[in-house]
Amino acid sequence: MPGRPLTRRTAVVSAVGSALAAPLVLTSCDIDPPASTDGASPAPAPPPEDAELVATVVAELVRAGAVLEAATLSVPDLTPALAPVAAAHADHLALLAEAVADADVPTSAPPAIASGRARALAVVQRSERRLQREVGQACRLAASGDLARVLASVAASTAQHGAALADPAVEQEAAP
Amino acid sequence: MSLLDALQATLAEEHATLWSYGVLGARTSQSASPALYDAVTAAYRRHRSRRDQLRLMVRDAGGEPVAAAVAYEVDGALVRPPQVQRAAVALEEAGVETLLALVARSSGDVREWALTEATWSAVWQLELGGTPQTWPGAAELD
Repeated sequence: MPGRPLTRRTAVVSAVGSALAAPLVLTSCDIDPPASTDGASPAPAPPPEDAELVATVVAELVRAGAVLEAATLSVPDLTPALAPVAAAHADHLALLAEAVADADVPTSAPPAIASGRARALAVVQRSERRLQREVGQACRLAASGDLARVLASVAASTAQHGAALADPAVEQEAAP
Repeated sequence: MSLLDALQATLAEEHATLWSYGVLGARTSQSASPALYDAVTAAYRRHRSRRDQLRLMVRDAGGEPVAAAVAYEVDGALVRPPQVQRAAVALEEAGVETLLALVARSSGDVREWALTEATWSAVWQLELGGTPQTWPGAAELD
């Protein structure tokens, strides 16, 4: 495979986190996280564009998670369909929040979800499409290739889960 | 690895995928397994278009597109529809991994194209009987 296997999650967290601190190093190398600095050279200025991108994606994941939680509370029957989506987003959020540990992870007030399975599912589907758009946009703009790769995987996962929710079997179950 | 190297690696992988889909199509009955036949056929067309686009991108990057091998190995038996299905899902999973590597090494239009194609391959896995993943194309993050 021509992929670039990083064997440990921590290596990726380090790479993404370091990308926010040293974009020029990462964009000029290909796979490995940058070597630790020897203290001789001053730390480069944080790249505001990538830090802001990650913050945007973190906020979007929190918002999408709140929508999923509200939908599940409003229509408990949706739990089997929504739980895997929420679990994936929680993992995405954990990685990105870990990579920017200094940043504040925002909170999001749970939105009001109309009662009824079909309407609740429609709200979730719109929310997931919005999340996918935002993550895709962040991927396109990321200065760090490693960060872009992580965001591309998040976008692909979100698209997969969105497609699963659009499955006729799920939608028929959700018919009012 | 330069952008050109990454494009060439992706194209080489695409040659193998396209060849493999040809085998899967030949092992799938249109009458006995119409849904699988349609899914495999659609994937073959998508990957053919992807290969052609990659050739153009390689030329735009100043390279000569790598040629396809005469044949490739296809893992496992491909006698029953579930075996074909699993093999097709594996092709798409590998495709996402390859395209994410291209995402990491590119920017602008090439990155956007790689993201679009990676997302398509991730979603198409569901058409082929796969299930959603938390980190498609980046299994080391699981």
